[in-house]
Amino acid sequence: MAAADPARGSVLPAPGSAAGGVNFVSLSKRFGPVQALEDVTFDVARGEIHALCGGNGSGKSTLIKAVSGLQPADKGGALIVDGHEYRAEEITPVLSAAAGIRAVQQDLGLFHDMTVAENIALGSTFPTRLGRIRKGDLHRQADALLERFSIDAAPTDLLGDLGRVAQTQVAIARVLQDHLDEPRGLLILDEPTASLPIEEVEMLLTALKSYAAAGQSILYVSHRLDEILTWTDRTSILRDGRYQGTYASADLDEGALVELITGRAVASLASGRRAVPESSDVVARLKDVDAGPLRGIDLEVRAGEILGIAGLQGSGRTELLQVMFGVQRVERGAVELDGEPVVLRGPLAAMNAGVAMVPEDRVHESSFADMTIDENMSISVLSEYWRGGFFRRGRIKADSWDLADRFGVKVADVSDPLTSLSGGNQQKVILSRWIRREPRLLLLDEPTQGVDVGARSDIYAIVREVARAGTAVVVVASDLEELALVADRVVVLRQGRITAEVEADDIHAYRLTDLIYGKDIA
Amino acid sequence: MTSSAVEASEARLRRRTRRRGSPSRVIESGGLLLLLIALLLFFGLMPASRDTFFSAANISNLLGNQSVTGIIAIAMVIPLVSGYFDLSVAAVAGIANVTVAAALSGLGTPIPVAILLGMAVALLCGVINAVLVATLKLNGFVVTLGTYTLIGGVILFFTGGQTIYQGIPLELGAWGIAKIFGIPAPFFLLIGVALIAWYILMQTPFGRRLESIGTNEKGARLVGVRVDRSIFISFLLSAAFAGVAGVLLTSRSGGADPNAAPAYLFPALTAVFLGATAIRPGKYNVWGTIIGVFLIAVAINGLALSGADTWITPVFNGLALVLAVAVSTLLGRRQKKNDPNRPSPPTAPSSAKSGDDESSQALVGV
Repeated sequence: MAAADPARGSVLPAPGSAAGGVNFVSLSKRFGPVQALEDVTFDVARGEIHALCGGNGSGKSTLIKAVSGLQPADKGGALIVDGHEYRAEEITPVLSAAAGIRAVQQDLGLFHDMTVAENIALGSTFPTRLGRIRKGDLHRQADALLERFSIDAAPTDLLGDLGRVAQTQVAIARVLQDHLDEPRGLLILDEPTASLPIEEVEMLLTALKSYAAAGQSILYVSHRLDEILTWTDRTSILRDGRYQGTYASADLDEGALVELITGRAVASLASGRRAVPESSDVVARLKDVDAGPLRGIDLEVRAGEILGIAGLQGSGRTELLQVMFGVQRVERGAVELDGEPVVLRGPLAAMNAGVAMVPEDRVHESSFADMTIDENMSISVLSEYWRGGFFRRGRIKADSWDLADRFGVKVADVSDPLTSLSGGNQQKVILSRWIRREPRLLLLDEPTQGVDVGARSDIYAIVREVARAGTAVVVVASDLEELALVADRVVVLRQGRITAEVEADDIHAYRLTDLIYGKDIA
Repeated sequence: MTSSAVEASEARLRRRTRRRGSPSRVIESGGLLLLLIALLLFFGLMPASRDTFFSAANISNLLGNQSVTGIIAIAMVIPLVSGYFDLSVAAVAGIANVTVAAALSGLGTPIPVAILLGMAVALLCGVINAVLVATLKLNGFVVTLGTYTLIGGVILFFTGGQTIYQGIPLELGAWGIAKIFGIPAPFFLLIGVALIAWYILMQTPFGRRLESIGTNEKGARLVGVRVDRSIFISFLLSAAFAGVAGVLLTSRSGGADPNAAPAYLFPALTAVFLGATAIRPGKYNVWGTIIGVFLIAVAINGLALSGADTWITPVFNGLALVLAVAVSTLLGRRQKKNDPNRPSPPTAPSSAKSGDDESSQALVGV
């Protein structure tokens, strides 16, 4: 189990709670059959920047939701903040805030059309007289706060006009404003640097260092390993909901951290991947394409091949799929399907050219929650069922049952609403909607996001079967182990460019991790 | 081979043994109809109203008068299925009404030509709405409230606020009060319009695509639905149905009153919301809307026959509208409870295509 070299990392003793800080004691959370968090115990000392690491689904966000009261943990655990103990199952958002737990989400939760002063006041109270906002006081208060946090902005600036670093600082100042003189509780930052360019990361982290020096405890969630190693004091790791230990960040290196996160020593994984012969037809080809964040993309996918795209969020991975589905406009370069240059003017044109795409965000981009399972399955082929002015509903139902059987969707009735299904089964419905069109090119954006382990392997079995039948498949996945298992070939995207390409036998999660973080461009 | 044969037969078995909807679901979808029947019985038996309520004159009056409301309400349902309000329908019916009456009375045009003129003007209004909402992507609720008011003003300008009753050919008025098998002819028109709307919404790919837009507009675009075009067409259809209502109103009233048609907005809106609590609960639908129209009409008619004052009409309409929104929203919210990730239900005006800053507001506790 303990994957780290004991010589490099050592579990540090928890400092006494008398010194303040925060103790997570035996936090667990179960969702039905899934143990999302299991007996997690560690502490964050006062004035410490404490990194929380783990892959997707490791339980980081469950932990944050548990301590901020959005989704209380199960009975038995506790949270100790500055010496006060709270029972885990009793934590509400109000209690958590009163205890001094402050979370800043990745999207910051700010209002771009309002001024900096208004944004700050919305986190606390507006100074009023007889119900009318006193603009002068509002701006004076904001000014003092901006100065205190050395934020490069004026109270009257529109938030949307600020740079990303200043926006993040405003979000932090907003949550910390009520107890400036005696820093207490815990500031939780969820991937605050995810969308920052490298040069701005340092600005933000320098600011964080100074807040910590003033006594603020910070729990810092990030995927950027170099940041964690350079800027944080200690690092705790979660994997599959289980606590893997706390290490002094200075004692770790990237290799050790990746091992701790993935739980695997450097070893090859069994997979069904194979090299696709050169003789196989090229289904899609991008030639020197610029589109949105993408720059100079050259790419080809062959029939029967599963091409993996590895990259961080914001690397342009989603846009790469969207280019091939007619959603992202191509600014320069050429797109070819089956050897013919094409201009895809929208999803419909792409569908007619034999392309299918399962988007990343199931709730907002692919599921029709109010509609039934069979309607969701048949929406991509509706007209085929329309004969003589009416739908052949019997055929729609029969075919939907067959699809449910073929894709292993556990349904009571195909006429039930889509939302009667679990996330994994919903995703299979979405997949069946596209695969039934027998596409030449199948684009999958995080096809297993929010899907349990069983459904995950089902989905990849389906994808492999489709590829074997001759479809070219392009998969984007954040889970690099998953990508290493399913892809025949992987290209690595970083800041809109393809920075590496890895062939069948060289695909390993740890290697992909290095590549997407920009280390070791081999 | 054998195992797949077994699986197939299992699947067939499951298909056959599926539950035919739980009792609560049946009550939910049929509740409004039961309420209508209860009201009919109540006013039919109540001493104050029983003599007149079931009289032939009263019933045919009810059926005839509500045909206009019903068609206007159906016109509203069509774009609403895709999540867009068209509040202008009552005014569009009004301008068609005035156009037909003016053509007949002032210009002496033949009836079919006058009807075509009325429909053309209605469709022109539809094009304006469609361009504003589908092409320019302006907020449909506000824009159509604007065109509703604007068209109402144009009607007043055009008529000088005067009614148009002179020179309307008798045949036109005769049709409006004619009876077929003892049932007013306009009621058959209503049923015809409802069948067409139901057919379009439920039996054509276009209708199903409209519903997919109403459920998840972005998702619809990503399965190849031409969203803007579909919404555009839905506004044209809405205007066409409103035009039919306007023509019918001319026939029913034997002319045009500039204030008559715009007053149908709230009864129609109430019926649409009531309709979303029945037949297909949580969704705007044609047959539920028709039940809604008659529920309100029967209640108000019965109350009036029992001697209630005129204030009862707005009070009842207002109560029914608030209740209808409450019930349909709560129904939607209960469904939402089963799926926390679901976008908000398409029942209340607030959820009709607008900004979604709700989550960030919740985070700062506004």
